[in-house]
Amino acid sequence: MRPGVLAVVVGALLVIGIPSLVAAQAGDATAGKAVYELKCMGCHGDKGDGKGAAAELLMPRPRDFTSGLYKIRTTANKVPTDQDLFRIITDGMPGTSMPSWAVLPDRDRWNLVAYIKAFAADKFKEAPKKLELPKEVASSAESIKRGKEMFEAIECHKCHGTEGRGDGPSRAELKDEWGHPIAPANLTKRWTFRGGAFRTEIATRLAAGVLGTPMPTFIDSVEKPEDIWHLTNFILSLGPDSPHYATLVGVTAVSDAIPDDPNADFWKKLTPNNIPLMGQVIVDPRNFNPAIDLVSVRAVYNDREIAFHLTWDDPTQSTDDPGKKLYADAISLQFPPQPSSGSERPYFLMGDASDAVYLLRWEGGKGVTESTANGPTKIAAIPGAEATGKAVYASGQYRLVMKRALVSKDATRPTFTPKAFMPVAFQAWDGGAGETGARMSLTSWYYLRLEEPQSSRRFVIPPVVAILTLAVMLLVVRVANRRA
Amino acid sequence: MRKVIGTLLAIALVTGVALVANRPGPAGAQGGGTIEATVTYAGAPVVEKLKVNKDTEKCGTEASIEKVVVGANKGLANAVVSVPGAKGVPKAVKTTVDQHGCKFVPHVTAMTPGELDLKNSDDILHNIHTYSTANPSINKAQPKFKKVMTEKFEKPEMIKLTCDVHSWMLGWVAVMPNPFFGVTGADGTAKIENVPPGKYTVEAWHETLGKQTKEVEVKAGQATKVAIEMKK
Repeated sequence: MRPGVLAVVVGALLVIGIPSLVAAQAGDATAGKAVYELKCMGCHGDKGDGKGAAAELLMPRPRDFTSGLYKIRTTANKVPTDQDLFRIITDGMPGTSMPSWAVLPDRDRWNLVAYIKAFAADKFKEAPKKLELPKEVASSAESIKRGKEMFEAIECHKCHGTEGRGDGPSRAELKDEWGHPIAPANLTKRWTFRGGAFRTEIATRLAAGVLGTPMPTFIDSVEKPEDIWHLTNFILSLGPDSPHYATLVGVTAVSDAIPDDPNADFWKKLTPNNIPLMGQVIVDPRNFNPAIDLVSVRAVYNDREIAFHLTWDDPTQSTDDPGKKLYADAISLQFPPQPSSGSERPYFLMGDASDAVYLLRWEGGKGVTESTANGPTKIAAIPGAEATGKAVYASGQYRLVMKRALVSKDATRPTFTPKAFMPVAFQAWDGGAGETGARMSLTSWYYLRLEEPQSSRRFVIPPVVAILTLAVMLLVVRVANRRA
Repeated sequence: MRKVIGTLLAIALVTGVALVANRPGPAGAQGGGTIEATVTYAGAPVVEKLKVNKDTEKCGTEASIEKVVVGANKGLANAVVSVPGAKGVPKAVKTTVDQHGCKFVPHVTAMTPGELDLKNSDDILHNIHTYSTANPSINKAQPKFKKVMTEKFEKPEMIKLTCDVHSWMLGWVAVMPNPFFGVTGADGTAKIENVPPGKYTVEAWHETLGKQTKEVEVKAGQATKVAIEMKK
């Protein structure tokens, strides 16, 4: 009798008290422990304190489950719902080392939820309280305008920067609850948002804040509750929905002179080729937390020159000051010095002893240089530089134009040939984040292709063909009529 | 059965009356004594300086983080002196902390459990970020148009106040269990009035130097001097 009553009471409490949990499955913490020790412990530690073997190398650091504090939650209080935890385990956290664990069966993931909650059981005594968002406002030019006003009034730029690239003046001072440095989100790259980039996800982060980080709650700190949605619409207007990564860099043929100014309208008309960069983790010093994750490439050539317009985000403009562990910001394009006959290319990490690469590099305070590399530490400048360039920096972003003669006079520099595929790789350094030498972000080999100049014959041949076809048709009709 | 309940009720009543009768009067009642505390520190002051890179028209160009402030005669400022053992009903006094010149003013605020008004008189964004365990910690944005926010602190605790926008901003809210406390001024002194007579342990707390205690006897209508030296 008694256990029956108890079950009914508990059941009723579950249904009435925490409706958001109804769909969640009750996990088994003991079974979760086994999965945790296999999949999670390396980063989150055997005690769940976020001090696993790999923790030192990660930025941001792995979650300390003993704190019971979770960044991503859909609740008005500090307690996340089981679904919140399940979702992060399932989807991972973009822009961090937390991968998606969708490969694990549902059952395992629910068991993990139960196990990680057990690390801070007292924090989960309180029931999660669902966050009620204000009534949704659809995006419109007007809403975006209001969002921008609010963005300025509540001074989001203090951390996130005036254009949202995470370059605000408070950036360097930010620390998380554990005293580790933490970077504000780059609002122009929403595919890196830790808690997802859907409208409601962004509005929820704004309303409820990101626990354990400097990001505060804003639900009571905007002028009107619906401003949360205007801000969301404004944030969504700051950048594309996805990086649309390129697989091939097309070089457009132009007949006119190529402008030196990276801000010239000329460049805006070209479609960018977005290339993802990764940390260099092959040779020491390794870069496990690369600062630069994307470079946008626009390339053109005319009968004399080839030019590369590069755009990349860097929250700090820095020049060499090794005493403070600050270095010059830099970027380089890498090519094989000579075209190879087959698919053979030099080693992508700046070549090796037997096969050198050619580097076209820009560095803050130094400008454009050309060099030959036989590995990341064996770089020799090529005498008699033929390349020029100009960079501008504004609101957390570099824009750079580098130019070079299309045809090279010597064997150390490549010659660019129309229609041919040319291997290209990229390397970038955020000196303000201590990146220099082998501590960089990079790509493996891509290809670029100089597109054929568009001939003016395309305006002549199709009309001629059309007229000829018409003439033939008329002729056929006339002959047929005569026969009849 | 009835007899038993009656007896229990009577006992409860008598105990209750006795408890009320024993309770010292609220602050301001006659017969209390005064504690005049002087807190000293022989060490050097610790004031960190920081170059300000934003809001300089409000914050100035150099911020100072006053971790240990020592005045004349080694007097230690910003120490909370309290009498944890004294019995008294906390009275609801609305306390205010102002964010002024990108500083929490006062640096240390002591209050009994209840509401705290957080003012923003700087006309720029601040965020109230508290570090606490007994009370729920908060991290709320306070933009320029939000002049006052009211927060509740129900449990006695030393709460650290920070602002992530201006990382040098540091303040403390001391939520005290009874109304017998004071915060030392620039000369290191604090006065606690209307303390019910009796023998007590007086406690001095400082954000970086920790706690020291001293035994005192408070006599009705008299001032009792107590000197406490803080050590690292």
